[in-house]
Amino acid sequence: MNVVFYFVAVAAGLALVGLLFWAVRGAAQRKSFDHNSGGLDNVPSPVNNMAQIRQSMDPADFEFAKAKGGRELPARLRRERRRVTLLYLVAIRKDFEHSLRVARFIAVLSPEVSSSQEYERIRLAMIFRWRLQVIKIRLILGLIPQPQLTALWQMAASLAMQMEETMAKLGERAALAAELALQSEKQ
Amino acid sequence: MLELPTFTLVTWGLATALTLFLLLRIFLLGLYRTYPLFTLYLGANLLQTIIGVYLYQSYGFRTIYGYRMGWTTQAFVVMVRGLATAEICYRILGKFKGIWALAVRLLVTCGGIVLISTLYFGIRSYQLAVITLDMSLEASIATWIVGLLLFARYYDVAVERETGMIGLGLGLLSCCKLLNDLVFERYVQAYLNSWNYVSSAAFIGILLLWTWALRKPAAAYTATEPALNSAQVYQLLIPQVNRKLSALNRQLSQFWRAESSKP
Repeated sequence: MNVVFYFVAVAAGLALVGLLFWAVRGAAQRKSFDHNSGGLDNVPSPVNNMAQIRQSMDPADFEFAKAKGGRELPARLRRERRRVTLLYLVAIRKDFEHSLRVARFIAVLSPEVSSSQEYERIRLAMIFRWRLQVIKIRLILGLIPQPQLTALWQMAASLAMQMEETMAKLGERAALAAELALQSEKQ
Repeated sequence: MLELPTFTLVTWGLATALTLFLLLRIFLLGLYRTYPLFTLYLGANLLQTIIGVYLYQSYGFRTIYGYRMGWTTQAFVVMVRGLATAEICYRILGKFKGIWALAVRLLVTCGGIVLISTLYFGIRSYQLAVITLDMSLEASIATWIVGLLLFARYYDVAVERETGMIGLGLGLLSCCKLLNDLVFERYVQAYLNSWNYVSSAAFIGILLLWTWALRKPAAAYTATEPALNSAQVYQLLIPQVNRKLSALNRQLSQFWRAESSKP
């Protein structure tokens, strides 16, 4: 047996054991899928705080504070802005994850799924998570490009809202179908 | 049988007694209806022990005939374990038709790749070919189980505790046997008795896990069938979701570039 293969195989065997325990953890505690399950619960969206967040990041506000507040105020403001932006990124991530969860929910309850669509979503989610982490680190180290961040957040919020609307419609359709089935049974 | 070390005989005896106890429990609780292939696997295991005892008594432990017959029966047991694994996979994901079809395609492909690559890279001599084959089968079974549980985790599918424990046991058994075979194949002479000890100890531990998991009657394990949507819902929504996610990623990449281009 090839030495390289031997070590690769042993490492793969140990990795499989680790993955096995990781994958089975909490498996029984997951909620079963039905239309009333937690899969469709709304996550708290940052949409309600958008106006305040925008206000806190307004460059005009920053310039005004710099002109009027002396030396210490801009530095404090910068720290505050960084903190708010980080919270903002957390909210974007939550919205993104919620949309992914809804998408998985739709896939699980579908009698047919497309492997290319599923693969595409996994790929996108991995890229998104990786980039978000790098941006977070860069934010901690550097400055905040405000317009790009706002646009990013708006995209995430619109996706989450659209998904929620669609799921509500789906719920209505399911209720209607159940009612029709009940009526036909009575007849 | 006398040429076998006492400790080997003790572990074999214990494993056989536990298998017998678990089988009896499965029949008494009516669980054979819920897990027919898993029951068949335990039965095959018991049968292998009976055949083994007969063979080793008649022909001796260290004869070529005993070696061949021992590994032939082992091949059957591994194949039945593969079937039991498929049953567990179906029990966890089978009710979700869409992702089940996807999981089958993926797991069969991954399992096949693992099987072929282990056979191709692992084979060294005809003498040890049967061990390589066993190793390949164990690697594919472990890949199926791990892949299945990762699928269930990704899609947030609830796994019945008992089914999960059987799956965990089958996966662990395959991983232990795979690692054991790997060490045995490399250090064949020095490791000869230890191979049996490790194999038996792992099996006894897993039998105890299964015995603990399967302690309620069959009626307790009836899972509710989920109400599936029509296929159009997926066809309509998922491309939209993916387009949106893609747009969100593009937006993020613009942000990324803006960050990178800063002086």
